[in-house]
Amino acid sequence: MKDLADMAVELAVRLGADYAEARFHEDSANFYVLRNGVPEMAGFDRARGIGIRVLVNGALGFASLNKPDKALLEQRVREAISMARASARTRKKPIRFSEERAEEASWEARAREPMEEVPLEEKMELLYDIEKVLTDRAEVGVQVPFRLLELIERTTERYFVNSEGARISCRVPRVEFFSITTAMEPGRGTEQDMVQKGASKGWEAVREWELLEMLKERVKRLGVVLREGVSPPKGAIDLVLGSEVVGLMVHESCGHPYEADRILGREAAQAGESFVRPDMLGQRIGAEIVSVVDDPTLEGSYGFYLYDDEGVKARRRYLIKNGIINEFLHNRETAAALGVSSNAAARASGYNREPIVRMANTFMLPGDYKFEELLEDIKLGVYIKTFGEWNIDDRRFNMRFIGREAYLIERGEITRPVRRPVLEITTPGFYGSIDAIDENLAFDAGTCGKGDPMQGVPVWFGGPNVRLRKVALGGL
Amino acid sequence: MELRELAELVVKEALRLGADEVAAEAVRSVSRQVRFANNEVTVSKTWDALEVHVYLAKDRKVVGTSLANVQPEAIRKALSDLMSLLAVMKERPDYAPLPQGPFDYEPVPGLYDERLAELSEKAIDMVEAAINKALEAGGKRVAGTFAFGEEELFLLTSRGVEASDRKTKAELVVRALADGESAGVGLTCGTRLKDLDPELAGEEAGRYAKLSLRLEKLDAGRYDTILGRPAAAVFFDIVAGMASAFNVDSGLSCLAGKLGQQVASEVVSIYDDARLEGGLGSRPFDDEGLPTARKPIVERGVLKTYLHNSITAKRHNTSSTANAGWVVPRPWNVVVQAGDRSDEELLAEVRHGLLVNNITYVRFQDYAKGDFSAVIRDGVFLVENGEIKTGVRGLRLSDNVLNMLRSVRALSEEARQTAHWWMEWGSPAVVTPLVLIGQVGFTVPTK
Repeated sequence: MKDLADMAVELAVRLGADYAEARFHEDSANFYVLRNGVPEMAGFDRARGIGIRVLVNGALGFASLNKPDKALLEQRVREAISMARASARTRKKPIRFSEERAEEASWEARAREPMEEVPLEEKMELLYDIEKVLTDRAEVGVQVPFRLLELIERTTERYFVNSEGARISCRVPRVEFFSITTAMEPGRGTEQDMVQKGASKGWEAVREWELLEMLKERVKRLGVVLREGVSPPKGAIDLVLGSEVVGLMVHESCGHPYEADRILGREAAQAGESFVRPDMLGQRIGAEIVSVVDDPTLEGSYGFYLYDDEGVKARRRYLIKNGIINEFLHNRETAAALGVSSNAAARASGYNREPIVRMANTFMLPGDYKFEELLEDIKLGVYIKTFGEWNIDDRRFNMRFIGREAYLIERGEITRPVRRPVLEITTPGFYGSIDAIDENLAFDAGTCGKGDPMQGVPVWFGGPNVRLRKVALGGL
Repeated sequence: MELRELAELVVKEALRLGADEVAAEAVRSVSRQVRFANNEVTVSKTWDALEVHVYLAKDRKVVGTSLANVQPEAIRKALSDLMSLLAVMKERPDYAPLPQGPFDYEPVPGLYDERLAELSEKAIDMVEAAINKALEAGGKRVAGTFAFGEEELFLLTSRGVEASDRKTKAELVVRALADGESAGVGLTCGTRLKDLDPELAGEEAGRYAKLSLRLEKLDAGRYDTILGRPAAAVFFDIVAGMASAFNVDSGLSCLAGKLGQQVASEVVSIYDDARLEGGLGSRPFDDEGLPTARKPIVERGVLKTYLHNSITAKRHNTSSTANAGWVVPRPWNVVVQAGDRSDEELLAEVRHGLLVNNITYVRFQDYAKGDFSAVIRDGVFLVENGEIKTGVRGLRLSDNVLNMLRSVRALSEEARQTAHWWMEWGSPAVVTPLVLIGQVGFTVPTK
């Protein structure tokens, strides 16, 4: 179907498109699921198709199809053009794309141990091994009545072509693990833990994650919190947030609000807009020690790519540099609207989705403290190591994270577990309260959702452990 | 390749390869969407798709696939790969065979409208009508999506099931902003062109946005709260999703172990109705080919049933409720029984409380217990003595599903079909009135 992608672009230009692009995808996902020890339906999804986007008279049209049928392709290209032309009358300001170099490239993420070479038995066996440990009270110290374990392997092969001469091919294998475990202690209720791991690698990533040990330890900790967790302290205290918490906080409160399509209002109907305005570039948002980047080029990362889905070469983006709002995430449309170049943030989750502005791997840069140094002068505080419930408003200003594994800090030392501390804080409140950052950078994986229809794309979020001064815990 | 031909290829080939049972669901769809923001169309889209979904069982083991590559050679390869996968799977102790057909299916009325299927560029006129109405009503910037299209489905199983269905559907959401933060939302949806009222959706969005301009700060606390239809749709989707036996058995439901118990106040009745005329989720048959029916999930506050496919039913020692989902049983249309008073009369019952028009970003601390929070938006108002007084900003809904269900005091009499982009558990639509819930928890940021 690659030739149909070339043909779609030629046809669109011939029919009057000012710009045209086509992406051919061949995507597959294999999944293995164990629910409470029972093998749920295992299987795979396989998709192959073309997405075409055209710019006509300053309006955008998009069409996709998965039948390799020339007549159907022509019909859909014509429709994309006619719909764009008809909608152009609503536009006071025509859509333009930023000028970008027409790249010709081929790139891939390499798996040292390709998933397709690992026997199927070994993949299922991994889930059974985890199940065995989680149901052994002697191993985890707590009853775990519900276990949902999932292993997913994906491959995406893409070919991008546009009317400016760009031609880019890529192949990315990805592997993902997901689990939800529920621990129960009579008289103390339940606690649940969700884990998602992901990498643009092969089976070697599964080995690196040491899932068995990791899940055993996390579930053990759930049991400790259930049995011994005390209520969180009241009033303004100091907080230490673990890298797992910091990672998602920067994804939600820095990555999303710096997406230029949100800033310009394009996502207002669903995902929402942003508290950040274009004129806030250069303004201080946090302490001098805070820098947040988004970097698609981290080899092996879940959000890895070298060219985005508009064919623009990827690079690291400094969203917050030394506490100052430094850069937004752009595709070619938002870049042109704000008079800059695209920084390659256009991603499409599949052939049947338009590329929109997305994050890749968003993380706070580490500092130079040791973890113990974050604690040492705290008289009374809480260390929130992992979280459960979280959300943030549609302008990305008001967020909430509830601790899952958390501890009291007393006189510079971690003492007792704390149950469900609620951190409810504004975005400037968060970045402005950070006064120390440790050296331990760690990443977690997620599937970031945005758009309508929904587009889930693989991302990493990461950070070091950080200390916040004088924050009251929330909740009712 | 036609849908029947595609499904027949799958079933025949799978049986030839040695499968005990096979189901094939072939689906062709043409969907369109016009997105808009800042009062302008941002993009128009068309999706043309032909897919086949396959369920395959052998020796009490189950595997499956979804294929958007439906070339015959790709299908044969996929089936052969499924058989290899079966060879390494372990038996399911809860295995149940697919239902033995054939069955008779009564068509559901009002699911297909040719005028909707052929709407094309007229959709842009409807979007403009909605935008203009939202601007007239007080919005300054208007965004939204208008999605519409048609879908044809053919189900064939090796157990004698043969079923087909064709439907059209449309959903228009309009969100208006009167300034950076004061927002309102209006929705209209259905399976026929006549179901849609773009001007009403625009007017509601604009009116709520304008009403949100005057603001008052409120403290965290518990407030008597009216959920608007978009908020109620998201809430009752959670309840119906938690009735899915898969979620019950996975620690993802606070309804586990509560069959036959009072889980809501007596004024609450929630139905799953696959046979709703003009229902976005209506279907004469489920994914296993069983004829669907209307059934109570909660009736007068009592949890009546979980939603089952054949396997979950076997696990629970009961019969399927015709809600397959081969893996996860799901509701078709969630219908909340309306009350006996107008929207205005319901509002009049609130002395000091809130009207929350929309909720999104629902996240659970504990599904098994039902503790969650959600972002509230698109019209959040302080209600004093039965009247909207001011807009409210900065609060977050923080409560428990069962606590809220048990605190429902009354419902209004006008239930509307509501589709929502944030359906936590994926119900196609919820038919709901306004809902008054006593003493709902709300929190605020501390810094």
